[in-house]
Amino acid sequence: MAMIEVHNLTKRYRDRVAVDSLTFAVNEGEILGFLGPNGAGKSTTMRMLTGFLPPSDGSAKIAGFDVFDSPLEVKRRIGYLPEAPPLYVEMTVRGYLKFVAQLKGVPRKQMKEELDRVARTAAVTDVMDRVIQNLSKGYRQRVGLAQALLASPPVLIMDEPQEGLDPQQRIEFRELIKGLAGKHTVILSTHVLSEVTKTCQKALIIKQGKMVAYDDIGKLAASQQVDGGEPISLEEAFIKLTAA
Amino acid sequence: MRNALAIARKELSIYFTTPLAYGVTTVVVLFSAFLFMGLLQTFVQMQEIARAYTWARMPPDYNMYKNLTDGVIIPLWGIVIILTVFAAPLLSMGLFAKEKREHTLELLMTTPIRPWELVIGKYLGGLGVTSITLGSTFLFPVILAAFGSSESGQALEWQTVALGFLGLVLLGALAVAFTMLISSFTQTQLLAAFIGIVGMLVWLLVRGVAQMAEEPLRSIVGQVSLDGHLQSMMRGVVELKGLVLFISSIAFLLFLTHRKIESERWA
Repeated sequence: MAMIEVHNLTKRYRDRVAVDSLTFAVNEGEILGFLGPNGAGKSTTMRMLTGFLPPSDGSAKIAGFDVFDSPLEVKRRIGYLPEAPPLYVEMTVRGYLKFVAQLKGVPRKQMKEELDRVARTAAVTDVMDRVIQNLSKGYRQRVGLAQALLASPPVLIMDEPQEGLDPQQRIEFRELIKGLAGKHTVILSTHVLSEVTKTCQKALIIKQGKMVAYDDIGKLAASQQVDGGEPISLEEAFIKLTAA
Repeated sequence: MRNALAIARKELSIYFTTPLAYGVTTVVVLFSAFLFMGLLQTFVQMQEIARAYTWARMPPDYNMYKNLTDGVIIPLWGIVIILTVFAAPLLSMGLFAKEKREHTLELLMTTPIRPWELVIGKYLGGLGVTSITLGSTFLFPVILAAFGSSESGQALEWQTVALGFLGLVLLGALAVAFTMLISSFTQTQLLAAFIGIVGMLVWLLVRGVAQMAEEPLRSIVGQVSLDGHLQSMMRGVVELKGLVLFISSIAFLLFLTHRKIESERWA
């Protein structure tokens, strides 16, 4: 079943087209890598999927609910980690997560349990009582991730979630994402291609707002292979697809 | 409503962990303490002069110095009005502007809360901190009541004092609503504060300018201007039209803020 359905999604800013009639669907439990060069429209697309930005044209549906017509239903089902983690730097990690959990409707009785759960998953347990202002970039990113995981939303939309993580944390993050497969539908954008091959089943590549490829990771590389030539990596396929 | 209260609580907790609210409150208390001392000194001098000459031989406009309420508190509230016009916008300038600048609006707009819950929560937070700041000036009537005395029992007419304070809180509440609306249009907190202060000063004092205008404009502007309504509240007179002006203006400003936030989803 398609958990995320995007039809002709377009975003125009005056004379510039940031996202140009994107159409794709993501099935329940799939992990999609959303790729593209800088400025290709990845963040804009993700913002439209979460209902933060209205589309100029076209539609997006999450779990069958239209993003524009039933925003609350959509927002109840989405965990979103924007490009810049949306943190109140004056608050402690615990205070911040508790606030977001309240907005997401986590019942008071389950609050402590839920905070402990996301803190463990995002590995922020040992900084829970520190003020966010004093945390390193990697920790801030993980607090942002913990926030997205609150209330176990069926759909996770993450904009460059690996930014600021050190190699060890990246490995842990990969495991975390793999653990989500099956139960959660995930879209994550990145320009670190090696991450995509390790975590995602499918990749969608956009360039200047237009979709240039959408396929399984393995097939994507094969499709760009010259007949009878050497097998090529996703990097090479990516460069070929976004060059022209 | 649970969401609105969660947002208001978050606002207050940030106010009390950052310097802004403490700074504004300190300045308000310092200024009003300074002016309070001046007013008290004048009051004492006038009482001494009156004792020497008797009240009957004093000019009639010195009658205000007959009691502490008219001689000290009412003029003090008159000055706190001006402090409020500066303090309330400074406290509420960040309500939306800061969320925009720090990208946290993206969080609030993607969690399952309704725009009106966001607006009410933000407003209650701003109103809460402004009330606490203004509440600090209530210290002065309390000091007078503790140490002052009067021939006719109580040192102060509490009804008049409280009504004057209610006027201040209403002015603060209006200034918060106005600045919050401006704040929803910009990312720059100081711009919101500046427009908030200028706008409130104009709204407060526009009656003076309107004196030069023709009728019926003069009467209309005179009624909309805040100072007349505030002055009658300060003197202890409750006027329905004054209350209606304040409450309906606040409601209208909150409605406009709601439209602005709601429209971010469309444009």
